[in-house]
Amino acid sequence: MSGHILEIQNLRTDFSIAGGIVRAVRGIDLFVDRGEFLGVVGESGCGKSVTMLSVMRLLSENATVRADRLAFDGRDLLRLDHKKMRRMLGDEIGMIFQDPMTSLDPLYTIGNQIMEPLKIHRKMSGHEARKRAVEMLDLVGIPSPEQRLKQYPHEFSGGMRQRVMIAIAMSCNPKLLIADEPTTALDVTIQAQILELMKDMQEKFSAATLLITHDLGVIASTCSRVVVMYGGLIMESGDVEDIFYRPAHPYTIGLLSSISDAADTGKKKLSPIPGSPPDLMNPPRGCPFTARCDFAMRICAASRPALAETVPGSGHGVACWLRDTRAKLDGTGVTAR
Amino acid sequence: MTDKAILKTENLRMFFDIRTTALGKGSVRQLKAVNDVSFSIEKGRTFGLVGESGCGKTTVGRAILKLYRATGGRVIYDGTDITDMSERDFFPYRRKMQMIFQDPYTSLDPRQPVSEIIGAPLTLHRLVSNNAERADRVRELIHMVGLKDDHINRYPHEFSGGQRQRIGIARALAMMPEFIVCDEPISALDVSIQAQIINILEEFQERFGFTYLFISHDLSVVRHISHDVGVMYLGSLVEAAAVNELYGNMKHPYTQSLLSAVPIADPAAARGRKRIILEGDVPSPLDPPSGCPFRTRCRNALPVCAQEHPNLTDIGGGHVVACHNMLV
Repeated sequence: MSGHILEIQNLRTDFSIAGGIVRAVRGIDLFVDRGEFLGVVGESGCGKSVTMLSVMRLLSENATVRADRLAFDGRDLLRLDHKKMRRMLGDEIGMIFQDPMTSLDPLYTIGNQIMEPLKIHRKMSGHEARKRAVEMLDLVGIPSPEQRLKQYPHEFSGGMRQRVMIAIAMSCNPKLLIADEPTTALDVTIQAQILELMKDMQEKFSAATLLITHDLGVIASTCSRVVVMYGGLIMESGDVEDIFYRPAHPYTIGLLSSISDAADTGKKKLSPIPGSPPDLMNPPRGCPFTARCDFAMRICAASRPALAETVPGSGHGVACWLRDTRAKLDGTGVTAR
Repeated sequence: MTDKAILKTENLRMFFDIRTTALGKGSVRQLKAVNDVSFSIEKGRTFGLVGESGCGKTTVGRAILKLYRATGGRVIYDGTDITDMSERDFFPYRRKMQMIFQDPYTSLDPRQPVSEIIGAPLTLHRLVSNNAERADRVRELIHMVGLKDDHINRYPHEFSGGQRQRIGIARALAMMPEFIVCDEPISALDVSIQAQIINILEEFQERFGFTYLFISHDLSVVRHISHDVGVMYLGSLVEAAAVNELYGNMKHPYTQSLLSAVPIADPAAARGRKRIILEGDVPSPLDPPSGCPFRTRCRNALPVCAQEHPNLTDIGGGHVVACHNMLV
């Protein structure tokens, strides 16, 4: 059996909206290894959240999801019926979302919401589930868990609510935890607490964690492997060191040089990426970054580069024509933007 | 130093009355959003004001621009006390003191085209004498922030977040102000767009000598753009100093933990560093702790911290700290 807990091949997700079709995800290949901490990074609208929601089938009616292969723990998700899928979510796959206020039900106590998946998936009795819920709240660092169980979400602060979400997600001991911008709504000091807790949980439960974020700082301090997305496609993927110290895609390089650093004493000028992301109602035919790329060649606009390893066997993949020798051979030199 | 200060706040206070009703019994409680905040900004410099949500940093900015009537203390602009000035007397200052808002989606009127958003204040403040002059000026401003001629007759919804923030900057720039409050001007934008806006702000400061009050929760950006930095916690200024002094020689335990919580985009450095993780949450400003506001989460807290609110003390070179037991 492969080490992949999640395997995605050629995933495409479209949304039909009033003005046409938004091609949010346009053919991505991705895998998550057992027990690893993978980060998916990209700006708003790059398709990072839609990718995961497509896998979990949590998208609205107007979405069409197609893929060559979607497999979780060796099982083909494309063949799974709705009922079996529902049984898997919250049990084998745990989820944490950005806004803990809207992902917790304001009408039910915290206790109710932690016990629900335990009763449904693990067939626990009320008594057992309560015991486990207290244990989980204690584990995620919520003081006096017995009393807190009886409280409602509005009685918790943002950081505490996110702790509750983590307790719910981990309660059934999932094999994969998907966290979509879990700390974006939180202040830095609370963000630090939650990231620490997530790393701690990953060690304790040895669940694979897939962290979706726009924040490269969060990625650097938590993940071991990174996938960079842009315009509905994967631009680059590799070990966290490869991405931060040896970035190969102009987009990754651009992202890294447009952030300011709290540890930086010099007043270096930031080099922003000019322009703005592509419109996915009308996606570019070639590489989506072409219009903003300093090194764009004629071929970049004409055809989409494949994700290929920089060095065979390195696991460091880049989708860029600059890396492809054929781009130079057919006589299309670097042209001015 | 104080002579060159274009803006000064002295013990600025902004309290809000909060009405609470429980079982038909109404009561009024006071929320002390800003409590005795004093700092000064020199002409042509950027003062970064940082802190977590609810610390009062935005309220400071709004009280300075008289969008709120200060509960106490003084705001002194270019040597003149503007705190209790009438709106009529304040009118010329409205032009000199501008603001750039956080949310480029709600700070532009959706029913006005760009020509009106930027042009109306020009007419109001009589900075142009006729329509032709006004149109020329609008075009010039639009170019300065990197937009094009055909953007002038469009409406806000036709722009991306970054472009809208450029319109907001052009609107402030139109007044040829001296002082601009930038309230989280890049927080709503994507990383690659943030750097574009930061560079525009820096460029204009160089060209026109603007003074900025840059309000942000992002310590990395504040370090990049500011000359001086103040740190707020629960309505109080806890530490302020020149940027490299503050980041290199912080004395307040809150500043230290805040900085150590900032994620750095460097995996090796992130792994190697010692993080001070603060426990618990920020207390409610309706019910703040006695004495030092930070004492409930502070590792260095002494018994005196619960009794006395520490005063801001100058420890040399304009570095001020409010702490009974500061770091050595």
